[in-house]
Amino acid sequence: MLKKHTVLKRIIHDKKITTGQIALLTVMLVAAIMTAIPILFVFVSAFTDENVLAEAGYGLFPSKLSLNGFNTVFKYEKQLLISYGVTIFVAFSGTVFGLLVMSMYGYVLTRRDFPLRKFLTVFLIIPMLFSGGQLSSYIVYTSLYHMKDNILLLILPQSMQTLYVIILRTYIVSSVPRELMDAAKIDGAGEYTTFFRIVFPLMKPALAAVGFMTAAMYWNDWQNALLFMESNTKKPLQLLLIDIQKSIETILSNRNIPPSALAAMQGRIPQYSATMATVVVVIVPIMLAYPFFQKYFIKGLTLGSVKE
Amino acid sequence: MNFMKRLWKHRALAVMALPGFLILFFFDYVAMGGLILAFKNFDYRLGIWNSPWNGLDNFKFLIASKSVFFTITRNTLIYYAIFTVLGMLLEVSLAIAMDQLVFKRIGKVMQSIFVVPAFISFTAVQFIVYAFLSPDKGMINNLFGLSTRWYLEAEYWPMILTIVKMWSSTGYGAVLFLSVLAGIDPGLYESAQIDGAGKWQQIWHITLPFLKPMVTVMLLLSVGGILHSDTGLFYQVTRNSGPLYDTTQVLDSYILNSVFHNSNFGFTAAASFFQSVFGAALILIANMIVRKINPENALF
Repeated sequence: MLKKHTVLKRIIHDKKITTGQIALLTVMLVAAIMTAIPILFVFVSAFTDENVLAEAGYGLFPSKLSLNGFNTVFKYEKQLLISYGVTIFVAFSGTVFGLLVMSMYGYVLTRRDFPLRKFLTVFLIIPMLFSGGQLSSYIVYTSLYHMKDNILLLILPQSMQTLYVIILRTYIVSSVPRELMDAAKIDGAGEYTTFFRIVFPLMKPALAAVGFMTAAMYWNDWQNALLFMESNTKKPLQLLLIDIQKSIETILSNRNIPPSALAAMQGRIPQYSATMATVVVVIVPIMLAYPFFQKYFIKGLTLGSVKE
Repeated sequence: MNFMKRLWKHRALAVMALPGFLILFFFDYVAMGGLILAFKNFDYRLGIWNSPWNGLDNFKFLIASKSVFFTITRNTLIYYAIFTVLGMLLEVSLAIAMDQLVFKRIGKVMQSIFVVPAFISFTAVQFIVYAFLSPDKGMINNLFGLSTRWYLEAEYWPMILTIVKMWSSTGYGAVLFLSVLAGIDPGLYESAQIDGAGKWQQIWHITLPFLKPMVTVMLLLSVGGILHSDTGLFYQVTRNSGPLYDTTQVLDSYILNSVFHNSNFGFTAAASFFQSVFGAALILIANMIVRKINPENALF
């Protein structure tokens, strides 16, 4: 009874709302609103009437709303659907494949009895400190591997992220009990069974956090797509956005419109609201997914020490 | 022999590490080998191996065109310095603020808002920035009755890019620090409170020392990328606008441009080489210094 009382007292004490707390809350609210405004702005513009945009320009409080932006977007459905498909395929397969490869590698790094552990650790860290850079990657992938326009280039090179492997490794060390693995071994489980049946399922929070970051990385990757993808059937959403921007610029400067952009627009001049509606279509899935993963972020990101 | 025996005993582990090993090897290490292009006169038809060597000619070219090279290197370094110092400051402050706030529920909502921009690609951000800065339709010009042609005036862009970058990455960075703060034993604060320490004193003497190792590791890691930039920010958000290059062109966006225009391979290869080697050298030096001061915080 007494214990309960002290606990309660401590909660009240901790929650004491001081002027300092009010000031902190106010500052943070202002910061949060400023952060949210650009995002709100996209949504408002996407629903703004095209004539209002053409005459008065972008604003947070348009005089007339309309759904025409979205109607236009859904009219160039074919390329949008293809691009959506490409992005979902790349993000999904890349995340599943990446999580599997990275967590196996991370697990191996936790095994002190494995003779190649030191070597594999150094092998993993070096690419974070030293890289060939975009130019040599580009030439190696296209001129040596002949992988231009190969969708695997959107998946494989990014599937091993040094930092994520370290996060997964550290999570295993700190949160998966050693005894559990030893017990499994005593019961006669092999290495694969130990990892897939015991360790992997226990890594859930880290897998959720890293998985979300990996998925977002694939979803947002524009550079590899811009460098390597040529056919319209392999263009992800980010590249479609770039094409739309290019076609706006070319219309403004009266040059030839890139054929892929024309296909995307079905010969239509892109409208301001339609462009913003496309941006909405591209960013909404990630924004909707994030809150579900938020709780894993603090729990799963045990960065710990990189060393060892 | 003993080594081979142990390796054979753990062959299952070797198999599990193999896919990751192969990916790193083919997509990272072979690409590092591609840096020899800096010493070659690259010809697409001949490929990497058969292109003729040309010694240091590419570097002579690099030094000869010193004004371009100087400008892009200067820009890269200045943006690195601003983004790292200001970014770290804002991220740590935000993490501490979120940790200190007692209104946990609204804190969770705000945390979501702060993090979300990190997951919006710069290709999409580009359209948002344009909606603010478009000369005739933009909100800024409309709101303040200006007629500034933002995409032609280089002088404003260091400020604009800094704001965009901080908007985009502060929340996400803060979450990483927040995960460290979540691990601090609340008892420490309580005993400090009993000893009469105020909030600021607690932050100074408890919170910040806990963050120091993480800050050091993050800074050290960032040094390796000192000549690498967030290409999306400099290439997409500026709409790759030529008149802005003087303050917005960085090594990475320069290299990307020359890949697209198939031009200046020699110059670009030399610049790439410089970018990679200089970054690696710097991280070694920085690590050495940290090791001297506090071996605990060094990377290796």
